[in-house]
Amino acid sequence: MKIVLDRPRCEGHGLCEEAAPELMHLDDDGELVLDREEIGDAEVPLASAAVRVCPVAALRLA
Amino acid sequence: MTDSAPVSDLDLFDDTVLVDPYPSYATLRDLGGVVRLPANDVYALTRYDVIRNALGDWESFSSAGAIGFNPMVNEALTGTSLSSDPPVHTQLRATLTANLSPRALRGLKAGIDAKADALVGELVDRGSFEAIDALARAFPLEVVADLIGFTGHVRDNMLRWGQAAMQVIGPMNRRTAESFPIAGELYGWCSGVTAEDLAPGSVGRGIFEAEARGDIPPDTAGHIIHQYLGAGVDTTIAAIGNVVALFAAHPGQLALVRENPSLVPAALNEVLRYWAPLHAWGRRTTRDVEIDGVVVPAGAQVAILFGAGNRDPRHYENPEAFLVERNPVDHLSFGYGPHGCAGQGLARLEAHAVIEALARRVRRLVVGPEVRVPSNVTRSIEELPVLEVVPV
Repeated sequence: MKIVLDRPRCEGHGLCEEAAPELMHLDDDGELVLDREEIGDAEVPLASAAVRVCPVAALRLA
Repeated sequence: MTDSAPVSDLDLFDDTVLVDPYPSYATLRDLGGVVRLPANDVYALTRYDVIRNALGDWESFSSAGAIGFNPMVNEALTGTSLSSDPPVHTQLRATLTANLSPRALRGLKAGIDAKADALVGELVDRGSFEAIDALARAFPLEVVADLIGFTGHVRDNMLRWGQAAMQVIGPMNRRTAESFPIAGELYGWCSGVTAEDLAPGSVGRGIFEAEARGDIPPDTAGHIIHQYLGAGVDTTIAAIGNVVALFAAHPGQLALVRENPSLVPAALNEVLRYWAPLHAWGRRTTRDVEIDGVVVPAGAQVAILFGAGNRDPRHYENPEAFLVERNPVDHLSFGYGPHGCAGQGLARLEAHAVIEALARRVRRLVVGPEVRVPSNVTRSIEELPVLEVVPV
């Protein structure tokens, strides 16, 4: 599966990074960086948690 | 198979319901995920999943002319990000959040933490105080005033303007009618405000500078400042008052935060879940929407009951318990999706700072009875006497 970021919608709240620091982080400018976009089955729960906590629904799994 | 929605004779904006809506929320939730309320001419959304889905589905649940419960306020809010749908909303929201998103606010954390610590330290030394005026109101008013650059008479009016701006979102009852002239003062001031009225170096000044550079559309700076004041004052005051009251009532939970300060964000999430600052918020259906086998017809006014969803036992185990370790990151009190609270980054900075300071300095608060007065949309404590502070 793939993590998809709706970049214009992302406001940098950073809750996704707290949920899944292995997969994404905010850079020094506060912009979200997806460290891994393609994920395996084992990482789906972690990625789903990150998607779920985004307060502005800027992340999804495809 | 679809059916018509269950019906309740509850009046969402009745004084008793507004002061303590939770028993009514439970009744409505048991009736269904969506319940028709003829007294308010709305379909109320009551269960967690139903609310979260509706908040994420702007195509079915429109905000355009629909977030308030009377036509006058919806007319007044036309053209704001609050009251519009994508694609118009997307640009308005970006303009609003350019100075309000967490990345824009990162530089403010140290200053806000220091202000909270100084204020809480002073109150602890005093030993007894009225927590709503002295802390829940004083702190966000100071933070927002300094942020936007308000000075003089505006600073003095922030509280009543902010309260009125929320009150008028309710149905056309006495509270709304009395608040419209006050909300009008705020609107009038924001329509005429200029860069020179705001302190040099403030975010408010910055918004005017962005307008002058053409980074944001002409004549939007005043509207943005209007939204900061209208949406960011009364709600944050409610949340911080709730922090004090809930930690006074649950000293064991405060002790958990003191022993493990990494629980501060979790504690705020639980405060927001347990007592939602906003009672009801509107949407309008753009089509016939089926919810749990029930049809809400196109064009219906919808009332989203954040607090009802936050206590839904289908989603949260033991929802009536206040437990900071639960860390309900997905609570509904900031809304969710494209219209999710634009100021939540600032709200978190402020509330985290207060919780940190309380946990560091206070072992226990002995409080007198809390006073609540009915309010259409914001549910907050009016007075909370702290009789004694047991320091750490």
